[in-house]
Amino acid sequence: MSSRTRSIRMAAAAVTAVGVIAALSGCASGSGSGVTTLNFFQFKGEALEDFNKIIADFEAENPDIKVVQNQVADADTIIRTLLVKDKAPDVITLNANGGFGKLAQSGVFYDFSEEPVLQTINPAVQDILANLGNKEGEVNGLGYVNNANGVIYNQDIFEQQGLEVPETWDEFIAVCDALKDAGITPFYGTLADSWTGLPSFNALGAYPSQGDFWDQMRAEGENVGPDSEVSFQKDFPEALDQQYELYSNYMQEGYRGKTYDDGNAAFANGEVAMLLQGIWATNPIKQINPDIRAGIFPYPATNDPGDRLLVSGVDVVVTMGKNTPHKEEAMRFIDYMFEKGVIEDFAASQNMVPSVEGATLGDDPALQSVKPYFDEGKITGFIDHQIPPSIPLAAIIQQFLFNGDTDAALATLDSEWAKVAARTIPVTGD
Amino acid sequence: MTTMTEAVRASSTGGTVKKRASRIRSGEKRPAAAFYWMVWPAVIAFAFFHTLPVLIGIFFSFTNYPGYGDWNFIGLSNYVNLFKDDRVLAAYGFSFLYAIVATILTNVISLAIALGLNAKIKASNFWRGVYFVPYVLAILVIGYVFQFFFSNSLPKILSGIPLFADNILTNETWAWTAIVGLGVWQACAFSIIIYLSGLQTIPGELYEAASIDGATPWRQFTSITFPLIGAFLTINIVLSLKGFLQVFDQVVALTNGGPGTATESVTLLIFRGGFSGGEFAYQSANAVVFFIVITIVSLLQFRVLQRREADF
Repeated sequence: MSSRTRSIRMAAAAVTAVGVIAALSGCASGSGSGVTTLNFFQFKGEALEDFNKIIADFEAENPDIKVVQNQVADADTIIRTLLVKDKAPDVITLNANGGFGKLAQSGVFYDFSEEPVLQTINPAVQDILANLGNKEGEVNGLGYVNNANGVIYNQDIFEQQGLEVPETWDEFIAVCDALKDAGITPFYGTLADSWTGLPSFNALGAYPSQGDFWDQMRAEGENVGPDSEVSFQKDFPEALDQQYELYSNYMQEGYRGKTYDDGNAAFANGEVAMLLQGIWATNPIKQINPDIRAGIFPYPATNDPGDRLLVSGVDVVVTMGKNTPHKEEAMRFIDYMFEKGVIEDFAASQNMVPSVEGATLGDDPALQSVKPYFDEGKITGFIDHQIPPSIPLAAIIQQFLFNGDTDAALATLDSEWAKVAARTIPVTGD
Repeated sequence: MTTMTEAVRASSTGGTVKKRASRIRSGEKRPAAAFYWMVWPAVIAFAFFHTLPVLIGIFFSFTNYPGYGDWNFIGLSNYVNLFKDDRVLAAYGFSFLYAIVATILTNVISLAIALGLNAKIKASNFWRGVYFVPYVLAILVIGYVFQFFFSNSLPKILSGIPLFADNILTNETWAWTAIVGLGVWQACAFSIIIYLSGLQTIPGELYEAASIDGATPWRQFTSITFPLIGAFLTINIVLSLKGFLQVFDQVVALTNGGPGTATESVTLLIFRGGFSGGEFAYQSANAVVFFIVITIVSLLQFRVLQRREADF
């Protein structure tokens, strides 16, 4: 979830940027004694130790390769500067967000379509990546581990109250009402952090935006509005109404002023039954209460249980620079990362779903409860990755959840979309 | 080395300065090379780190450069789109509202404090030090302290007032006042210093004469102090307004532009849209326009305010 770490740490980013660039230029010439040194660009701070272990094991098996892990803050910015300077690292991990799609489209990454490792990955995961963008006819990234964006629920509370996981929207509302009647707050809202409005928006908005909705939106461009073929105003009112219903009726008192951390703490202590968050929240929750049994279910936005979709993003995508001089060695390292045992350990430690088919999940109840959706391929990507980053989506949704004005929020989204389309002038050939 | 010492000697012998100045004009003798040695590095550094980036920014504002990859010239399209963008207009509205309110508050409060610190109070140096502390602290650090204060302490202290009980930072209508509070709190430190130095330029005899004539302290303030610190008032107001128009850190630390986009300042919009939004060229155009706006506002202020400065 890219928006998870939106807080700006400019100073830190600047310092690491300088450090990384220095480190990379230093590493470039370190292949004197038959040992190849690979630059491994790694974006995920909490995965530093896991990758250190992977690298140590890999180096033990492959003494002719040395892997240097460069873990950076604000990776999205730094990878751009490196790519512009034509200093692409050999092996790259990134969060698969809209920015990754843009970079992949511009053709700076290697084409994996002929590599055998691609065949081992769940096709539904690669579809999510393909929707973000690839260079025409290429496969520019390999999904490594996936997250799951669904309703987190306290399994103990559900059992005590005799509640089942809801499969339709009506059942969902009935569960909320039952909890409320029993004196339990259904959800903990954390709107002081604007991005926390997005997980539920992504999940409920996934239903009206299936098919080629985003392609049509892009085709409409600056003409998007209430009268166009597709638009937010036309297709999203129900999703927003559903989201507002959850927020306005079933949240704790003062949900406008609480933060993400407050929400995790309250859920961990059993104060509420559910959180409108995703699997990434289970780690911080377990740090507060290691014994909690938290499961996840997809937002049932329709009244047909068969329609349910789990929104999942590729949390870590692996790729490499197009023109790396160490292609063969880099590929060996990537193949090793995707070996079943390696990816299983990593995914279990990170509380994520491994993308390799047949890899077993960790025994965490949250992971186990989303397993069927991955097995059946009933997963879909985050819709906010399809919305240009210059649209202040989190802010618009937060504002909407404050005032409940569906029409105004959708009109703003449409007009922002149209404005961005109008001022995005494509690069011409010459 | 010898030229250096020569130069120091030449400039430290105050009596000859005037003579030398006239000689330069007549072209008999060039100024010592040391002056060039001192000026050139500064000029180069200034041009490289300041002027050049500005020119590059202006250059890219006529392109569709997203911050990476290829680009084309697109003429004035960015500027045309800028004036059609209601989000940009809203950001200007917020920046000006914030800047005007904060400038007035800062100058009223710091002038009052400076008058107090300039009086013959006990331990005046200690108090001057105390009031300067906010200026020394890093803005992001105190920003987070204030954020904790607004979102955790105030709701408990003032739990009877709904506005504060529900975290004022997430209140669309009033969040900006919290940012004003932080901005003024910090900016006062520097304004106080300038006002203090201004107050110390006023000769004490004026007040003695005035009190012999029977003028009240208020009359002394309006007729002596206020007119005589006119130049300091001008510089303070111009600097405050310019600084407050560019408000950035305070917003990032407290609300990050929210709730919604209610407290999005122009600089925050430029930063966000340009770097994370991938609209580098478009926001460069915004930055150019903002630069022009600030220049015009500052020049206007100088003209208006200098007219009422007293000469002495």
